[in-house]
This record gives sequence, C-alpha cells and structure tokens, in this order.
Amino acid sequence: MKTHLLASADQPKGMSQGQPARRYPATGRFTAQHRRRMFRTDMLTVALWVSLAAALGLWLADGGVSSVADGAQAVTAVGILAGLAGMDLVFLMLLLAARLPFVDGTVGHDRALEFHRKLGKPALYLLLAHGLFVATGYGMAEGLNPVSEAVSLWVLVPDMWLAFVSLALFIAVVVTSLVAVRRRFPYEFWYFVHLLTYLAVAAALPHQFSVGGLFAEGTWQRWYWLLLCIGTGSALVWFRVAQPVMATFRHQLTVRRVVPLAPGVFSIEMSGLRLNELSGNGGRFFVWRFLAPGLWWQAHPFSLSAEPTTPPSGTSYGQPAQQPTLRITVRNLGAGSARLASLKPGTKVAIEGPYGVFSTAARSREHIVMIGAGIGITPLRALLESTPFAPGRATVLLRGSSTDELFLGDEILELCRKRGATLFHLTGPRSADPQGAWLPASAGNSRLPDFVPDIADADVYICGPSAWARQVLAEAKRSGVREEQLHYERFDW
Amino acid sequence: MRLRAGISAALASGAILLAAWQAGTHVAESNASAVTTSAPRTTGGTGTGSTAPGTTGGTSTGSTAGGATAKAGGTYTGTAVQTRFGTVQVQVTIKAGVITDVTALHLTDQEQRSVQISARAAPLLRSEVLSAQSANVQTIGGATFTSEAYLTSLQAALDAAHF
Repeated sequence: MKTHLLASADQPKGMSQGQPARRYPATGRFTAQHRRRMFRTDMLTVALWVSLAAALGLWLADGGVSSVADGAQAVTAVGILAGLAGMDLVFLMLLLAARLPFVDGTVGHDRALEFHRKLGKPALYLLLAHGLFVATGYGMAEGLNPVSEAVSLWVLVPDMWLAFVSLALFIAVVVTSLVAVRRRFPYEFWYFVHLLTYLAVAAALPHQFSVGGLFAEGTWQRWYWLLLCIGTGSALVWFRVAQPVMATFRHQLTVRRVVPLAPGVFSIEMSGLRLNELSGNGGRFFVWRFLAPGLWWQAHPFSLSAEPTTPPSGTSYGQPAQQPTLRITVRNLGAGSARLASLKPGTKVAIEGPYGVFSTAARSREHIVMIGAGIGITPLRALLESTPFAPGRATVLLRGSSTDELFLGDEILELCRKRGATLFHLTGPRSADPQGAWLPASAGNSRLPDFVPDIADADVYICGPSAWARQVLAEAKRSGVREEQLHYERFDW
Repeated sequence: MRLRAGISAALASGAILLAAWQAGTHVAESNASAVTTSAPRTTGGTGTGSTAPGTTGGTSTGSTAGGATAKAGGTYTGTAVQTRFGTVQVQVTIKAGVITDVTALHLTDQEQRSVQISARAAPLLRSEVLSAQSANVQTIGGATFTSEAYLTSLQAALDAAHF
C-alpha cells in the first residue's frame, strides 16, 4: 500500500503534474561545504598517486637506473621497485583503516574500507613479485637458481628469514579476506587473522633497513621511510586506540534500558556525560562494545537513531538530575546482536566514533530526500531530526513489508509534521517490475520522480539492505541524480 | 572532479618521478667517483671494476713470480671474485715470508649498503689476516659475502705467491 501521509503545504502544485522540475541553482548553504569535500576527495587521490611515485622515486633518486647494467641487475631492479610499491600500498591500506578524521570526513568510513579491500590483492602481488624477482636477480648474478638463492638468503643474510615469515603472513591475511573464504568463517576468525597484519608489517621492516641498500644509514631515503613507518604507526595508535579510550572515559556511557519495538527489534538507550558534544551526528555510526561477560569482545557498528537528548533542567525536584541519553535501534541480525536484547541496565559501554559521512556533512543541496527500508530507517530518523532544511524541502520514503516494519515510523511522522517534510509509507509485497523492485507492487508504475519531482536537484540518502539499496541507487541515477548527490550507508558488512 | 583529480595526480607523480630520476643520475656519478677513490692505493688493479663473470685467473704482478723465489717476497694480486654485491679483489704484499700488507683493490659496491659494509669489514679482515698470517680467519659478522670473497681472493694471491 502506498500512503502519502504528509504533503507539505509549500510544495508547488505544478511539480506533481509531471512538469519538468525547476533546477535550483546550486548556491545554497551547502555549496561551499560540498566544494570543499570534493576538493579533499581529489587531494586524497593525488596523495595516493604521489606516495606511490615517491616510493619509486626513492630508488630512482639513488641512481637506480644507471646501476642497471646487465640482465641480472634489471631483474633485481624490478624486484626492488615491486617491493617499494607493495610496501607503500601496505602503508596506504593501514592509513585507510586508521579512521583518520580527514579520510572519514571526506569519503566516509565504508568507502575508505572498500578501497582498503581493493588494494589488498595488488599489494600482495607486488610483495610476491618482490621476493620472486629479487631471488631470481640475485641468483642470476651468482649463477644460482632462484630456489637455492632464496634458501641462501634465508640462511645467510640476517633479517631475511623475518621477511619470508612476513610474506607468509601477508598471504594468510589476504586469503582469509577473500569474500569466498571470509564467508566460511565467523567474523572473529577473520578479525584475529587480520590482526596478524601488524605482525607481518613488523617482520617486513627489519630487512628493508638492514639488507636493502636504499635505506642505508645516512641516506635521506632512510629518513623518508622511517617517517612513513612512524607516521602510520602513530596514526593507528592514536586514532584506533587512544581516541576510543578517551571517548569512552569522557562520555562514560551506561545502558539505561532496552525497549522492544517489534519482534527482534529493540532500542538501546544509554545515559552518559557530555553527550551534547555528540549532537549533530545524526546518521553517523559508532562502534559499540557492551562491557558485559561474553559480550565485551564483540564490536557492533550501529548508527544513532536519535539525537542525544538533554532532559529539561529544573524538573527533578529532590531527585538526582537525569543524565542526557542517546539511543541506537538494533535488529537481531547475528548471534551477537540477539544477546544485546537482554542487556542489563547499568552495563558500561565503550565507544569508537562517530564515523561515516551519512550525515549533514555530506549535504550538497538544499533539498534532501531520505529513502530507508527495514532497520535502515532508524539512522534516517536521526538524520531527519538534525539536518537543516526549509519546510517543504525534505521528502522521506519508508519501505517495509508492513506498517509494523517501519521501525520508529511514528516518531518519523511526528518529526515530518514538525519540520515540514513530505512522508511516504511504501508497504506491501515487492513489485514484479524489475526496475521498480524496490517499491511495493501497490505503487504501480510510479517511479522516484513521481514521489519527488525535483529529485535531480536533491541530496538522496539511502539506507537499507544492499540488494534493495542497489535498485534505489540505479533508479536515482536514472532520474538524473548525480553520483556526488547520492549518499549510501552500507550496514550489512 | 575526477578528471581534475586524475590530471593533478598524473602531473604530480610525473614531476616526482622526473625529479627523482634527474637526482639519480647525479648520485650515480658521485657514487662512481666515490667508489674509485675509496679503493685505497689502487695500483695496477684500478680497472678491476670491469667485472668479468666468474673468476679471472690470478695474475701475479709481483716483481718476481715463480716457485723458488716466492718466499723472497713481492706483491701478488688475487682473483676477482664475483658476489651479488659487486666484485672483490685484494692484493697481498709479502716480505721475507711474512704477509706485511693486504690491500683491497676492489670491494663490494653495488649498493650503498654494500659500500658501508665493505668499508667496515675490510680493515678488520686485514688486521685478522696480518695476525693469522693466512686466509684462514673468521668472517666478519654482517659482512658474510664481502668476507668470503675477500678471503677467496686473498687465498688465490697467496697460492700465486706459493706462500
């Protein structure tokens, strides 16, 4: 069933009659923010390529080209270059996973990690090529086959055995991260194997500085490489360890209560200190650890489903003042989330975040469209609460198989009414039309522009199961929404 | 936007590679001269940098070559030994049946690291050889390749001298 619940009074009549939507000039309050974010994205691309060029440049600046006189040296040179590029990619991967605020605020956490995954295989291939070519090149110079050369390197040259161990660890890490392999094992297995990356990097470093002639003492190349190592290491320690610990102690979150919403869906309310500092993060997510026996080692990425609330002052005569609270809304997707339903009030909570750009920070236009399905509705609820828009310039589309599945639907209705947003409930069985499969059958031939006539000039926020979200993304693109106006939160990773 | 990023990235990376390559040609020149000068007292063997693969036969440049007169003394050049880090060749001076000096004509130099290693190892090996009066001495830790090549070349020189 398609229900048009709230038509905002300001919506021009002509728009709903299929006339071409008027293009608003992109001169709103988000234009500058958007331009800055696009500029930062480009800077990141440039930085990436520059770091690769610099890694190869280390060798060139050391007189690399002129040192190649025969075939053996050429093969060795290829090996050295592969090693430099491969290690540079490893550093980049570590930085992409380091939750750098600059990266997170520019492309978002999920896209940073997606790119991190894409670099995995190239990095491994380069490191393998490094070992292969260097062993072959050295072997040619000495008249040995690559295997016996590798053995003699292992046995005779200090630190080289560590490099072999490191390569084996890198192989293990990449193989367990392949989608096909990763599915067969629980998340935790993958996670602990992935921690070996740090061991692999640590084991790879000694031979780079002791055996590699490029980073000999007294060369500027050594300093550059050391700086890269120290910079990456400190970024990881600071942003992945120190910052979360500090945030946890600063906000001291405690579970206040767990409110069931529907079978398998519940809200967790937490109270804490200085929660007003976390406001404006509607739509962004935190990584939560509930410090209860058997649960503390599981990290759950969940978005806020409401802005932090501060109870009005002066209402608590004689009682201790109520602490501000924040809330997440969770659906039982795994064994871990199921146990969260029975969290006891008073459980301490450790947090990391907020992460992601599914928020006001990604806005580029005045008009905003929010499309959510299932549990993906809940981050939109928080976004709707806080993101700025003029009455009539926001549209919310909620999809569920029944009205009961539009979680927090009544809160959203209330917010839409208060703020002047248009709300559609899209419920019922899926449409048979492949192009409209994200819509219920009852929507008939309606398409996205029928709900939002000026969709092409709006920011579109999409949150829901990935197959459904892909269809919405495709439909939005067909309706003239450009890539940079699309904001999509993956939450089934 | 992506076009802008692509063009800037290509330009920046290209500039870095070009600058590094230019810097590299200068480094190569200065390295070459550094190696030539660092080989101490290169008599006769200056040209040993032209690395013939394998071992070139030990050429004794001593004033008197030959079995009977060898013990009398002279200067003998060992074979040029190939390692993956460069050629190693030494010259030994024998006076009255005593090794009085060992001179490195050429040491491992293919990478900066090798230059450092051999610069550290050569004086140690020389003093060990002088006190042991033979090529049967310990190799220097961390300089395995240099040491072995050094002692092999030395042994060839001693053989040539019938020491």
